Amino acid sequence: MRNQASYPLRNARPAGVLLLVALALLLAGCASAPRLSDATAQKLPSRLLHDDVPFHAQRDYQCGPASLAMVLEHQGVDVSVDELIPRVFLPGREGSVQPEMLATVRRQGRIPFVIDNRFESLLTELAKGDHPVVVLQNLSLPAWPLWHYAVVIGYDRPAGELILHSGEEARRRESFRRFDATWARSDRWGFVALPPGELPTAIDAETAIEATADFERVQGAEAALPGWEALTTRFPNAAMAHFALGNARHASGDAQGAITAFQRAVARQDDLTVGWLNLGLTLREQGDTAAARQALERASALPGPWQEHAREALSALEASTTSD
Amino acid sequence: MTTLRRFLSPLLILAMILGSLPVAAAPQGAGNELIGTQAALQAERSSDARERIHEVLARDDVRQQLDAQGVDPADIEARVAALSDAEAQQMADQLDEMPAGASVVGALFAVFVILLVTDILGLTNVFPFTR
Repeated sequence: MRNQASYPLRNARPAGVLLLVALALLLAGCASAPRLSDATAQKLPSRLLHDDVPFHAQRDYQCGPASLAMVLEHQGVDVSVDELIPRVFLPGREGSVQPEMLATVRRQGRIPFVIDNRFESLLTELAKGDHPVVVLQNLSLPAWPLWHYAVVIGYDRPAGELILHSGEEARRRESFRRFDATWARSDRWGFVALPPGELPTAIDAETAIEATADFERVQGAEAALPGWEALTTRFPNAAMAHFALGNARHASGDAQGAITAFQRAVARQDDLTVGWLNLGLTLREQGDTAAARQALERASALPGPWQEHAREALSALEASTTSD
Repeated sequence: MTTLRRFLSPLLILAMILGSLPVAAAPQGAGNELIGTQAALQAERSSDARERIHEVLARDDVRQQLDAQGVDPADIEARVAALSDAEAQQMADQLDEMPAGASVVGALFAVFVILLVTDILGLTNVFPFTR
């Protein structure tokens, strides 16, 4: 009997060890050191440090405002951590949430662009884009999260280390592997804060248009104008970018420029109702009734949410020409 | 008194109807206004009118939530105004689950040990002395 009872015990120890090893392997397997593709590896310098990014040590839970102050100051925005705290910190959560981090950048006259969520894009942004990047990490495990904002200012590829202004430590070195494990838990979320007119290296047209439109909503068309110009240069085929540029020019009093932009928009996307509509309305303002009618007729012929609006504009045009 | 009221009521009704007319007529007058970029993008995203109304209401929700989270009432309006429609919606729907940079770990002993191990394995970065 004694013999039988001790069997499970004798088997339990190796089983436990095996389980621990398996668990360790499993956990470690999730987080291997991130690798760069050969093409990217060749393009990027092996070491890089943005020495000119100021450091602000966080106090209490305020890594959000501190990170914002670092990137904004680097951009030449004159704003202190103390001014940023009431704009972004949530006392009830003892932290700052992502949408408000982006919103605060907008209030300071810079456009926040959320970067592509890959490790490669982060390094590319640092090197080619020449900007520090604010990242959100979960320093702990998903079950007991410890969310943290830090500013990535450089890297050292031979050493396999990233350099960050983080918490109370300036120029902290963190291995690629450990960093990527903690960054992956936020779905590799990070953003750059840029003045209107500059764009991140890795971004698609749609994301860039949304970011600029959101900025325009807060800061107005004139402030966003250089942003739209830059977008049409980077994405010459994006009809929406030309359309938005037309609107911003129109709002800034440049009607001729607006007409050119709207014409480019509809040349790229023939069924862009809003493009034809705004083109027609601007032409009418300029007294070019014949061209205005042509554009508005095109807009009224296209089905969609703006058709009704286009028909009204067309009948208003007809009414005013017959009364003249 | 009754005669006065009989006389006043139709007048008041008329005044109120007239007063509300410009508001009702506004969409017609907008035939001359250019379509804004925001409106155009929003229409592209969601053709559903109910969805758009929901986005407008979201900002009210966020105002209340910021107030409940202890934000100074004087700061709330400007904070809400700086959010994009999508962000306002996101905050209205899931502020409680959103990661807030710089929260603290629940300091349980078991958690401490697990995190110590994962720190040493290089999976987490909770304790500075493990590096």
